[in-house]
Amino acid sequence: MAGDGEPISEAEALEQLRQKDDQSRQYYAAWWLGRMRSRHPEAVPLLLEALSQRQPRDAGAGVEHNAVARNAARALGKIADERAVPELLAVLDDADDGLREAAARALGELGATAAVPILTRRLASGPDVAGANRSDSPRLQEPCEAMLEALGTIGVAEPDVLTVIKLFTSHGRPLVRSAACRALLQLTGETAWADELLLLLQHPQLQVRRAALMDLGALGWRPALDPIRRTFAENSLKLIALRGLVEHGAGSEADSDDEAVLMAMDALL
Amino acid sequence: MTAGSGDSQRAADRIRAFEQAGSAEELVVATRRLIACDDPLATVPHLVRVLGFNNPGAAVAAVDGLIALGPAAVGPLLANLDAHNYGARAWAVRALAGIGDTRGLDVLEDALATDVGPSVRRAAARGLGALRLETLPEEERELLRERCLGALESGRTDGEWVVRYAVAVGFEGLALPLLPAHPHSDRAEANLAHLLDPEREATLVVRLRAGVALKRLNAR
Repeated sequence: MAGDGEPISEAEALEQLRQKDDQSRQYYAAWWLGRMRSRHPEAVPLLLEALSQRQPRDAGAGVEHNAVARNAARALGKIADERAVPELLAVLDDADDGLREAAARALGELGATAAVPILTRRLASGPDVAGANRSDSPRLQEPCEAMLEALGTIGVAEPDVLTVIKLFTSHGRPLVRSAACRALLQLTGETAWADELLLLLQHPQLQVRRAALMDLGALGWRPALDPIRRTFAENSLKLIALRGLVEHGAGSEADSDDEAVLMAMDALL
Repeated sequence: MTAGSGDSQRAADRIRAFEQAGSAEELVVATRRLIACDDPLATVPHLVRVLGFNNPGAAVAAVDGLIALGPAAVGPLLANLDAHNYGARAWAVRALAGIGDTRGLDVLEDALATDVGPSVRRAAARGLGALRLETLPEEERELLRERCLGALESGRTDGEWVVRYAVAVGFEGLALPLLPAHPHSDRAEANLAHLLDPEREATLVVRLRAGVALKRLNAR
């Protein structure tokens, strides 16, 4: 299929996003602009136009539902231009949950406080409704993980927001619990929520341990150093998590605390 | 005590238990037990075979065991390098990097320069800074170190941060045993200065590690 990974220039990417005949080229171009964090003045307007494109899933061609729009949302998050916020907010109420997921993550990256009331409203029905399994796919009614992560990243620690997030700390899926605990730790600084994440580092499923690793790394939670070192997971992931720990607290030079983390990283190489 | 019993320390019994391991879990346990027996050298060929089994838990245990056995494991590792089994080759590179025997240098150079897996390139970079040169004649040491420096210098611009991090660790390991005035030490420090510079190195954790390396070299 065309547009699969060949190197292109910024001008070509913009051109391929502008044309509408070949959606796989648009899909690739949107990804490329986000990956390169394009600062070209046409990038954001073209991505916003792509965000409004809707198309059915084409399983035969390996194309997801609304593929171009989803990639446009992801790219807008990476480029992090404020102009994208109103359109991304509107997409949070789109019928396609995959598109809501991409928009939630993008708004998190943008730190868009205007997204908080909408995210809170969509999650307010809790694990039994918003967090219920869909009948037609393994996904949940709402993209809970992405929405919870966005609430944690955006950083509005108001009581009604915290109340909604806390509902999901008892969700049946460990990855959702992990996202909720991570957000609560970010918003409240209460270490009890980190304990929950540390417990998940010992979960029997590798996938859950990996998610907890990434969450603790993204939080820069230093007391997690030893539990991260000991958990059973690939060294590659532990290294990413430990990088998060170091980079969170560090200045331009490593102090003795930073050095302890660096030595733990050396041992994983 | 019966042959193959779980408590026997005898290598032959443990090898038999290893051959009979049915599940992935059993293989991990049997591999760990191979290493802690009365004749670990007898287990080397079996540990090398484990690297090709596509069982990461067992492979990790085998790599640890082979590293602990040191130079005695290098011959069998090199003789069994399998160009067609990527997984096995990657684990072998890790074992060779950990052992630090100069016979593994060709493999480490090649892995850092060409391997598609960042985890293999990062192990090779670490290994290139940790070759055991101290027993060799000075002239040979200089030549081998020259090769390690060249390989690490190329690895300094690797696209993956974790490989550049390992390259910083490699430069430190290579230069620490040298006198500060040694030209190879100067060269390692110049490369570390490059990895410390925010204009030329985008990843904070790499810069921090390069800073620690330079601090340690200055404290010699």
